[in-house]
Amino acid sequence: MGWKTLLFILGSLFLIAACSGSSSDPAPASQPTAAPAATEEPTQVPAAAQSAQQPAAGDGDTSGGKLVRLFVDPPTLDPHLTTDATSAQVIIEVFGGLVTIDRDLNVVPDLAEDWDISPDGRVYTFHLRSDATFHDGKPVTAEDVRWSLERATNPLTESPVVDQYLGDIVGVKEKLNGDAETISGVRVIDDKTLEITIDASKSYFLAKLTYPTGFVLDRENIEADPKRWFRKPNGTGPFKLSQYDVGETMVLSRFPTYHLGAPHLDEVEMILSGGTSMLMYENDEIHVAGIGLADLDRILDPGNSLNSELLQAPPTFSVQYIGMNVNEPPLDDVKVRQALNLAIDKQNLATSVLADQVVPANGILPPGFPGFNTNLRGYRFDPERARQLLSESKYGDDLDNIPPITMTTSGSFGASVSLDMEVVLQMWKKNLGIEAEFQQTEFATFLKDLHNRRFQMFDIGWIADYPDPENFLDILFHSESSNNHTNYSNPQVDSLLERARTETDESLRFQLYNQAEQLIVDDAPWVPLWYSGERFLLVKPNVHDYYLTPLYIPRLRYVYLTDEE
Amino acid sequence: MGPYIVRRLVWLPVILLIVSFITFALGRFGPGDPVEVLMGQHSNPEVVERIREQRGLNDNIFVQYGRYIWNVTHGDFGESFKYRGRTVGELLKKKMWVSAQLNIAALIVSVGLGVPVGLFAAMKQGTGWDTVAVSITLVGQSVPIFLTAPGLLLIFALKLDVLPTHGWEGFFSPNLVLPAVAMGVPGVAIIARLTRASTMDVVSQDYVRTARAKGLPESIVRNRHILRNSLIPVVTTLGFSLASLAFTSFIVERFFGIPGVGNLLIESVFARDFPVINAIVLIGTTLFVMANLLVDLLYPVMDPRIRLGASQIA
Amino acid sequence: MRNQAEATFSEVPRGNRSYWVISVKRLLRKKIGVACLSIILIMYGAGVLSPLVTPYDYNDQNLAEAKQGPSLTHPFGTDRLGRDILTRIIYGLRTTVIITVITLITGSLVLGVSLGLVAGYFGNLYDTIIMRVGEVTSAFPEIFLVLIFIATIKPPITEWVRGLEGTLGIDIVKLGVADYLVLSLALAIFSWFGMARLVRGQVLQARENQYVEAARAIGVSSPGVLFRHVLPNVMGPIIVLVSAGLAGVAGSEVFLSFLGIGVQPPTPSLGLMIFENASISVLRTNPHLLLFPVGTLTLLLFTFNLLGDAVNDAFNPRAR
Repeated sequence: MGWKTLLFILGSLFLIAACSGSSSDPAPASQPTAAPAATEEPTQVPAAAQSAQQPAAGDGDTSGGKLVRLFVDPPTLDPHLTTDATSAQVIIEVFGGLVTIDRDLNVVPDLAEDWDISPDGRVYTFHLRSDATFHDGKPVTAEDVRWSLERATNPLTESPVVDQYLGDIVGVKEKLNGDAETISGVRVIDDKTLEITIDASKSYFLAKLTYPTGFVLDRENIEADPKRWFRKPNGTGPFKLSQYDVGETMVLSRFPTYHLGAPHLDEVEMILSGGTSMLMYENDEIHVAGIGLADLDRILDPGNSLNSELLQAPPTFSVQYIGMNVNEPPLDDVKVRQALNLAIDKQNLATSVLADQVVPANGILPPGFPGFNTNLRGYRFDPERARQLLSESKYGDDLDNIPPITMTTSGSFGASVSLDMEVVLQMWKKNLGIEAEFQQTEFATFLKDLHNRRFQMFDIGWIADYPDPENFLDILFHSESSNNHTNYSNPQVDSLLERARTETDESLRFQLYNQAEQLIVDDAPWVPLWYSGERFLLVKPNVHDYYLTPLYIPRLRYVYLTDEE
Repeated sequence: MGPYIVRRLVWLPVILLIVSFITFALGRFGPGDPVEVLMGQHSNPEVVERIREQRGLNDNIFVQYGRYIWNVTHGDFGESFKYRGRTVGELLKKKMWVSAQLNIAALIVSVGLGVPVGLFAAMKQGTGWDTVAVSITLVGQSVPIFLTAPGLLLIFALKLDVLPTHGWEGFFSPNLVLPAVAMGVPGVAIIARLTRASTMDVVSQDYVRTARAKGLPESIVRNRHILRNSLIPVVTTLGFSLASLAFTSFIVERFFGIPGVGNLLIESVFARDFPVINAIVLIGTTLFVMANLLVDLLYPVMDPRIRLGASQIA
Repeated sequence: MRNQAEATFSEVPRGNRSYWVISVKRLLRKKIGVACLSIILIMYGAGVLSPLVTPYDYNDQNLAEAKQGPSLTHPFGTDRLGRDILTRIIYGLRTTVIITVITLITGSLVLGVSLGLVAGYFGNLYDTIIMRVGEVTSAFPEIFLVLIFIATIKPPITEWVRGLEGTLGIDIVKLGVADYLVLSLALAIFSWFGMARLVRGQVLQARENQYVEAARAIGVSSPGVLFRHVLPNVMGPIIVLVSAGLAGVAGSEVFLSFLGIGVQPPTPSLGLMIFENASISVLRTNPHLLLFPVGTLTLLLFTFNLLGDAVNDAFNPRAR
């Protein structure tokens, strides 16, 4: 054995070691959910439900203590640049905007005390609170809000989502295109009054303002150090960022004079360096941990010591689905698409493979979401009818006539085919005789091909950005939407969606969406699979009021710790 | 020797330019787009176009490359696309240092176990002990990290609760033990076999025979003649591992919660974070070339008949 | 290596044939060598013949019997979808066979050996060019290259393989052959350097030997000297490297699975089985999901490495 041989082997060993991979705790290698929300948070600490413990609004002796949790490095702490859920979860605790979302998912006042809406629904007049200040004690003025909106919509800021969240404001498009210096639709009336004009009456406009793109920042803070200001941000949120070591740790500390009620906790420590959440939880190193499928059986056992620390999170507002390109044979025949829908036994799948952590999806909008239709006619498992529809399709009885089907999948980190998809393909094979093939792709390539509509069939999810049906139905199914990845096009649906955009009467508006959703489901450009179900997580018994909601909301200020272990 | 080193070093910038340009071009013409990844499923071609324009991603590739090289020579590696508002320098510096420390710790494990085992095997050459020792190290090399990492954590962090589950607290901390062992054990086999082979070589050399014949005490023969010479190849091997010193596997990093470079590289590739990828490639290439040079310089140490320069090694 | 330098003229093999025959005979005389060879042959054989030797279908899902531990009906237990793990491991070996064989034949080895020979033997300009180009090609992060190659040149090659499928009537695409082919071909450009550097180093030493000088002196042509005198002398390390390389290839399949490259589910691969289950949770609750695939891979890598040693001893002209 020559030493150079060994030397090379050692070299190649490092190479191999450097290029072999896995995530430590591949939180069931979740599929890419709707883009920014595709959180890589290792714990997947879900936004979860009203904790089992009684919510006891802050009485004096609940304050203090430090909550520790596992987190990942947020890609940005600049609210105007945020596109992802990881960043957003930190940002909503440190910063704030005119409005926010409360525990019951209503849009409620934050920096604005209240607001008037003009009769035509286009002009919003916000009255700012008098007691709202930045962390350094400076009061928040209408000028601060205006400046922040100008900054967010400055093309030099490079916000990728500003069109989506602020594009309704009159003048924003012109400014983004470089045709205007300022937003014509934003006007400072006086120190505490601000007027925003939008291009049409849109009831979801306020909901959009709860996203960090519309948050208020301190001009002095940013102009003092435009590149690095967010290391010491001067926000208006319930917590101050007191320490941040990239890749290591982040500490939020209490802002005692927060205008909506100061947090109970002194500090929240987020461990950013990674690790295995279950292990850390069991070793009392963190207070909260998500539970992967592999651990669930063990902990659901009532005899397990952790069983009592189990919390159930309500479904997040998301749907997992198989998209079918309606221009690609054999998916160009609606009967084939319906047959594929009917041939899957979702209930069985949910129970035996996914441990009932998901809710089988009947339609598109998740339960509890505004505009959810309980009477929607979806597809129940019916192999007979599926076979019948398939034989009625233009491809007829002979399976050999059916062109091959390729289903493309991707993970948010690396590639993956989830267990349930393997079963789905097997069910199609068994119930219809159709043999589809998988093709896994890494996410960036997947996105490119998705947007270019190159896929025949794909597996993906969508998470609500704000609680309004428009965020699902219009964005994903309007024939002219750039997010309509299935090439679905139905003039009737288009006109319903367009009418709903400007309808001011909420119940009428939801009816329009209900009709559109039914038409879409009947045309079956999707196989809707799951609403993310009631997920489980572990919370130490001394942690109280860890509110878990289907949307990310500022929630840490409600949390308090008690001494008992 | 001197002129030879200079000549080799003159190549370094040339190699760096070629490598960085290819990386650059692959990134630009390869699939996937950093702005699209930022936006995720929310496709909006206008926005992508606007931000690409803003960042100069639409310029001619040679213009972009020239700009990049200009900045790099002025010490500016640019800003990360994914971690917005952070410079590549600040992202990399700390992480590389962490990775380097972890690698050193792992090397200490490999060498610390490998050399004694190798010497032992060489002394017991041909006996059952030899086979057993070599086989054990080989098993260590063959078990994938996918088992050793969770296995070690399960036993030492959870069941025995003697070592921390995660985190980075610097070189001299118990946090380093498990990852260093997980990373170092596969290398034990290599070092052990290396030591064994070279020791066996050395033992049969004339000078050892002479030393023994002179009647020198066995301990002196072993320490002065055998050990020192048989460790030369080990040292050389370590020299080569310099090339990968600044990089650690993201698997190890993820299992043990270590803020190293591996994870950043993978993330950057997935997010098409070109500034970070380019910087890592530049640094990696430099290290690689230097390590290669070092190994070539050590060849003659290993075998004095090989002369550097002239007609031998260009 | 010093001993090699001492090799006397008479010990040096004159002709390749007798050298090979002697070496193989020597290998077969070693118990460990034979044992390793047999284990590898059995595992590869099982992989190649997987449809014949497996008790179940690899995608025979039975949700009611999911995650069972080892039993008489399922010696290695069942996976999360109730499929027989033994069956899936044997099919996984088929994937390993394919990926290792493809790597061998697509030539990063051939490229490495020949360029190493040339660089070492001719030296000067050849050496400079080959070594510097090698440094360039070795410096790229593999993961980046892998992703880009797969996304750019895979689609046409897959199409081509599909065409082949049509004429041959065999399902090749499913086996991931196209992926591995693309990868090995593409990575050959970037991965020959390690081998080349090793061979070059060996050649640098070998060419200093008396027998090479003698051969040159009596007017044997350069290729003649290279292939009849130099190559056999550096064969041992090369073979060790090949066996270690194969082990490495088999091992790195785990990583490729992570990127979604190679066989696509439900076709089993050891890499995917290991990657999916590499967590503490699985180890605590259903260890058989991880242990059996890891055990198989470990055994394979272990025997490859051991075989490498044995082969080296057998092929090394100085060994007794």
